[in-house]
Parts: sequence; C-alpha cells; structure tokens
Amino acid sequence: MSSRAITPRPSSYRYKSEKRGMTYNIMLVGQSGLGRRTFLNTLCEREVIPPTEAPNPDTANVADPMKFDTYEINLEEEGTRINLKVIDAAGFGDGLDNTSCFKQLQDYIEAQFDEVLVEESRIKRNRRYRDHRLHVLIYFIAPTGHSLRELDIELIRRLGEYVNIIPVIGRADSLTVDELAAFKQNVMRDIDYYKLPVYNFCWDESDSDALKENREIMDFIPFSVVTCDEVIDNEYGSVRVRRYPWGTIEIDDESQCDFVLLRYILLNSHIADLINYTEDVLYENYRTKKLEVGGFAEGEDEDEDEDAAEESHAASAKKQE
Amino acid sequence: MSASDTNGSAKSLASNGGIGIANLPNQLHKIVTKKGTDFTLMVVGESGTGKTTFINTLLTTELIEPLDDASRRKKQLDKTVDINIHKAELEEKMFNVKLNVVDTPGFGDYVDNNDCWLPVVDFIENQYEQYLRQEQQPVRKGVVDMRVHACLYFIRPNGHTLKPLDVRAMKAIGARVNLIPIIAKADTLSPAALRQFKKRVMDVIDAQSIRIYQPPVESDDEHSTRRNKDIISAVPFAIIGSDREVKTEDGRHVKGRLYPWGVAEVENDEHCDFKKLRSLLIRTHMLDLISTTEEVHYDKYRTTQMKSRKFGEPKLKKPDNKKFRDEEEALRARFTEKVKLEENRFRQWEQRLIAERDRLNKDLEQEHNLVKQLESEIEAIANSGSPNGKFFRK
Repeated sequence: MSSRAITPRPSSYRYKSEKRGMTYNIMLVGQSGLGRRTFLNTLCEREVIPPTEAPNPDTANVADPMKFDTYEINLEEEGTRINLKVIDAAGFGDGLDNTSCFKQLQDYIEAQFDEVLVEESRIKRNRRYRDHRLHVLIYFIAPTGHSLRELDIELIRRLGEYVNIIPVIGRADSLTVDELAAFKQNVMRDIDYYKLPVYNFCWDESDSDALKENREIMDFIPFSVVTCDEVIDNEYGSVRVRRYPWGTIEIDDESQCDFVLLRYILLNSHIADLINYTEDVLYENYRTKKLEVGGFAEGEDEDEDEDAAEESHAASAKKQE
Repeated sequence: MSASDTNGSAKSLASNGGIGIANLPNQLHKIVTKKGTDFTLMVVGESGTGKTTFINTLLTTELIEPLDDASRRKKQLDKTVDINIHKAELEEKMFNVKLNVVDTPGFGDYVDNNDCWLPVVDFIENQYEQYLRQEQQPVRKGVVDMRVHACLYFIRPNGHTLKPLDVRAMKAIGARVNLIPIIAKADTLSPAALRQFKKRVMDVIDAQSIRIYQPPVESDDEHSTRRNKDIISAVPFAIIGSDREVKTEDGRHVKGRLYPWGVAEVENDEHCDFKKLRSLLIRTHMLDLISTTEEVHYDKYRTTQMKSRKFGEPKLKKPDNKKFRDEEEALRARFTEKVKLEENRFRQWEQRLIAERDRLNKDLEQEHNLVKQLESEIEAIANSGSPNGKFFRK
C-alpha cells in the first residue's frame, strides 16, 4: 500500500500545534471482553492500559455505569508526530438495560463539538487550544458468526452522523476462515439493509487513485482484530503472538487477521482523511444544525451574516426576473 | 418375607441360598429398556454462543437447523424471547430415548434485556404444572412428561466475569431446574485465561448463591468416583462445538474447527471439556438428572403449589409475555370493532324493516279506506230507492 503524505492544514491557529504533533482523538466502544483495551496496547506496541484487576464477585449482579477512560499517548509514525488521545467507553452494553448508553455517547461527542464552536467564535482565540473532537470511533462487534445485533445496529445508526465509525470484529480468532468470510458478508449485508452510516472510505471522489485503493479497503470491513498476548522469539526475530494448545496466531501476519491493515489505516494512510471528514463535514453539519436552531449564545459569526445577506439578495433578484 | 413385629420395625433376614431378589435389577433393566425414557434438555444463551452447533455435535446429527438470513433478520429487532421445541427419538442398542431439546432464541440479544429470563422460567414451571395436572387426572395413562431435566446456560467468554444478565438469569433458572453452566466458544481463550475465567465464574456463582447442578461424587467403584471428581472439577464446562470433520496437521480426521493456525479438536480433553459434558449428560448421569428433577425440583414446585391451592384448582394466571399482551390487545380491539360493525348493520336492517312495515301499513290503510268508501257508496245506492238499488238491497 502506498504511503500517503499528510496534507498540511491551512487553518492558522493549528499550524503551530502541528510542530508539537497532530491532534488525533479515537474512541473505542464495545462490550467488555471483546478486546478493546488489549487492542490499544497492541496498537501502541506497549502496555498503555494495565490489565483490569479481578472483579468483585459480590457485585456481579449489578452493572457498572458506562464511563469514559482517557489515555494520552505520543506516537511517531513515519516521521509524523501524533498526539493521540484514546477514550475507552468502558461499560457500554454490559448492563441489563442499555438504552441510556447511546444518549451518553452522543452527549459526549456533541460536547466536544460545542467546545470547538465556542472556541471558534471567541474574539481572542486560544493559541494553545487542543481540539477534542472525535476523529474516529472504533466499534467492536461480537464474533457471533451470524449477523449484527440490535445493540450494534442502534449504535451505528445513532452516532454515525456525529463521528466516523469503523466497525471491527473483536476476538476474531474465534471464527474459522469460512466463518469469518461469511460473517463479514452478513455484516455488510446488514449495513446495507439498515442503511447504517459507517465511515465511507470513498467519500472524497476527487482523487481517482485513492478511490480505487479505498474501494479495496472497504472490502475488508468489518476488520478482524486479534490482540497480542505475548511476544516470543523465533527464527525471524521477536513476533507478537497469541498461543493456543492447537496453534499459534501471529498478530502481524496479514493472512491471519486484519490488525496490521487497520493500524496502517488509522495511524498512517487515512489519518488525514478521517480528520478532514470530521472537521469539514461532520462538524460543519453539526454547526449548521446547531446555529439554525439558535440554541447557542456566544457571538454570531460574521460570515454567517454575509451569507444570509447574499441569500436574501439572490432571492430578491430571482423575484425580479 | 416377614411382617413387622410388634415394635413396628421390620426384622432383617439374610437369605441363605438366595431367593432371587438379586435378580431385580435385571428385571428393572428389561422393563426400562422396553419402556425407554423421556429426556428434556434446554439450552439458554445469547445468539452466536454455539447452542445449535453444540446440540448437533452432541447428538451427531443435525437436530436443529441453523436459521437462514431472512428469519434471523426478522428476529434481530423483535425484542422477544421465543421458546422452540425440537423433538427426536434416539435409539441405540435397543434402548430408546424420546429427546426434547428446548431452544430460546432472542435471549439476551437486545439492547434492553430486562426480564428476558421470564419466558424461560415460565416454560419450566408450566411443564411442572402440566405434569401436576395430569397426575391429578382420573385416567393417568399416556402422561406427557416435558419437564426439563437439564438446562445448559451458555456463558459468553468475555474473559472477565459473569455479566449481570448471567447472574440474574442463572439465579432464577437454577432455583427451578438442574442448571449446568457452560463456557461457550472456549477456543477463544488461551489456557491460562480459561482457567482464570472458570475460577472467576465459580467465585461469582458462590458469592451470588446461584444454584447449579451437583452430580453425586461418591459411588461404589473407585473408577466412577474418580471420574465424577474429574467431571465436577471441570465446571463450568468449556465447550467447542463442531459438526464437521477436519484433518489435523498429523493427518488425523477429527471433529473440530480448522483455523489457519491449527485445529481445535472437540473430543480432545486438552482443548475443551466436551467429552466430560457429554458423559455427564448422557453416558453417566442422565438418570441422576432425571431423578433429581423429579425428586427435588418438581417436588419443590408441587409442595409450594399444593400448599396454596386446593386439589384440582387451576393455577393463577400471571401477566403474560409482553408480546402476547400486545397481541391480545390488538385482537380485542379488532373484535370490538367487528361487533360494532355488525351491530350497525343490524340496526340499519331493523330500520329498513320498520320503514317497510310502515309503508305497507299505510298502503293497507289506504286500501281499507277505499273499501270503506266503496261500502258506503253501496249503502247509499242501496238506500236511495233508485231502480238499480234493488240489486243491492238484501
């Protein structure tokens, strides 16, 4: 896969922060036990999140409410510094009644948008402002082998308009080769059937080379993820593996799971696309909606008045025709 | 041999040459072999935990067909738990078993899974109720016994601990039936993780006072005792299911799952506990499962019911499954509508009849008046004294 250059940002207040590293915010959502935390550790190639301690058996009958655990990691990928912030939505879908989880997530994402909305409209802008908008949400699907469940459908449906959602299959090593292929097909069929708004890699139709590549990438959705238990040394050097009595999985082997591909997409090839789409489309849509409703006090944008004036001028021009 | 003596306790007499009592087990064997037995097994767990595959692997035949895409999609947003019963008759070496497998699609599959174990619990209790009623009938031949003898609860292997849903459901189910917890799709946990998970699950089961099936350990021969201890130590059973045969690296043909990195074998004790569970369910403890159901669970139900109800009285009806309540409401609404329509029709008909009758009455009156008029004319002519009048004079 070709490595793509990261396009520099035109916006002035972010140029300086580029030197410190790109701001990149990822959220991990999925039921417990699907490998979210180990995924982060494997992604960053070190133990960012320590293993959870033994849960208390006396409180096993009540679910913990969903909470957002934040982790900040500095990465360097092919010469680019990334200030990565990962938010782990722990407790999602683990309770008896999970209906309130969706609103909580939506409120969180909107709060980040609102902060930027306020910040952008300040007369004196904060040069050191850190953008907390979510650039991508990685959703872990349980490897049932059948199709999407109500929880999966509802989540993507409700949050797809606020954040880029990339569905992955957690614990994909519980599926055989055939089962994995069939499961991926079923999930894609469900996504089409319910018209679920997952991130469309082909949203930018201007670059035809990239478009072809992106179409190929979309064939892998949902990405199968297996996470690393240990690192062993064999004749090829140190290898990240997961060991079973009947065999050993090599995490970095692309024929065995899509982890390497997903990592490359997230941290190299598509980081710019994901950030761009969030800022230029998702955030703008939210902003328009929010300002139309008028539920927000801090200073009107000058541009908006100009646009409004232009529109009314055009309307009156039409009337005269 | 001897009646009880004056104290009330029976004298025990050893028989010297043997009168043949020792032959009783053989007779029983013949009777049981001829009669066969009923065995009802229930599988409970979220979709995708391998329940269907497990049953088909256990019975080495496709008893339950996997759902096709269309039906699965219909069930995705259905928000209800169904009870499906699959029946089969198994025969092996002249012994037959009428097997019932009860499946519970929809359990734990939705966003809101509150009370999703209620249909399961209701089903179990309904079977006890049916049996109770049949026993109370004057004619007791041909009793249909669908009491659940074992309920397999499939736990999703999340590697941490039991979910609140599992805890609540297992508590409710385990109080009424022989509950056997199973770790589904165990080939997704490494051996160390599996050991840890099993321990954590058992810790929760103890802490939350969940009642699970305890097979008897002690037995007459040491071999059985050892085997029983083995089985008990494996609870909850880690299961891999496969109804397909694959070839391992060293050329063996086994039932298993073929991964790019190896074959996870179903009948290999180092890979999973399938053989132990199969032994428990069929080869060694089936009878115990049946008798504990009868003597412990059913009896408990019977006692509580009989304390509160008189003989022959029907059971109090609790509010039903939400889906049925909605359907009932819909049906009732349709019924009242139809009744209203019909009543309207009848009323209109009645009115038309009344109108018709009035019209006819009016016509009748007119005719009557005409007749009267003619009569009076006749009278007049008769009395007038004209020459024609004599025709009318009497």
